[in-house]
Amino acid sequence: MSQVRISENGAQFCQSVFDDMMTQSDAVYGVLISTVDGHDVVKCFKQDMPASKLAAMMSSVLALGETVAIEADQQQCRYVIVENSNGYILTLRLKEKLVLTVIARANANLGMLHSITRSAVEKLAEKLK
Amino acid sequence: MSEIKIIITGTPGAGKTTAIAAISETPPVRTDTATTDELSEVKEQTTVAMDFGELTLEDDQKVFLYGTPGQRRFEFMWKILVQGGLGLIILVDCTREDPLADMKMYLENFSDFIAETGAVIGLVKRDMTDTPPLDEFYQALNQQGLMFPVFEVDVREQGDVALMIDALVSLLEYS
Repeated sequence: MSQVRISENGAQFCQSVFDDMMTQSDAVYGVLISTVDGHDVVKCFKQDMPASKLAAMMSSVLALGETVAIEADQQQCRYVIVENSNGYILTLRLKEKLVLTVIARANANLGMLHSITRSAVEKLAEKLK
Repeated sequence: MSEIKIIITGTPGAGKTTAIAAISETPPVRTDTATTDELSEVKEQTTVAMDFGELTLEDDQKVFLYGTPGQRRFEFMWKILVQGGLGLIILVDCTREDPLADMKMYLENFSDFIAETGAVIGLVKRDMTDTPPLDEFYQALNQQGLMFPVFEVDVREQGDVALMIDALVSLLEYS
């Protein structure tokens, strides 16, 4: 069990940010905040998905992305994007110990998805201690 | 020149990352991140995807070493990392509550892979607490119908890690 805790107010704030993201793009059907070592913290899914498993997997994916960037002599991995035939999974760091993952259908505009996600990270990072 | 892939697994904090760092000829690839759970009392960082290192044996055989994350929630990585692997090293942290149960758990989780390949058991941190004698680990293996080498090792020592790799390569060659 992660020792990272979000207060009730914090969780409500996260949910409002997630709602905004889903309003800005109806292609977004899942948003998850998890820890860098793979524990789920808070989520909003429009369909059933295994949050704890996704949290572990996204920590691996992000860590691999960041490590691959270093091996390729590139700095500051901003996002890791998994592009699939029917959707996108976009993940990025949220402060030092958290990860934000956004899951969207294929009709998402990737540029919009970037913009919505980046804006959400800024809001969340400001609020979450 | 042939290449072999060996996987190192074991409980969190057993020393998988340390073992690979001790023997790799190239700077090891790591995917360590901050620990945010009870493990943070033991260590500040944990592997969440894999470690990677490489070395060359005397006969020019290249060995690629892959370290797994230890926690069960990363079980999906275990399945990915064993693909194409030729053997498994299981590190058992003897300061934990039940090292024999830990060994059995990893033998069970990697049973399909082990059945096709082989394994070596490395007992670590033997000098820090009272732990079951070596015989009990062999007995536990026998009870599962398995015969694998068991070593007491210090994974910070290159020679100890090399010993496990040599034993595993020999086991695979003569099995």
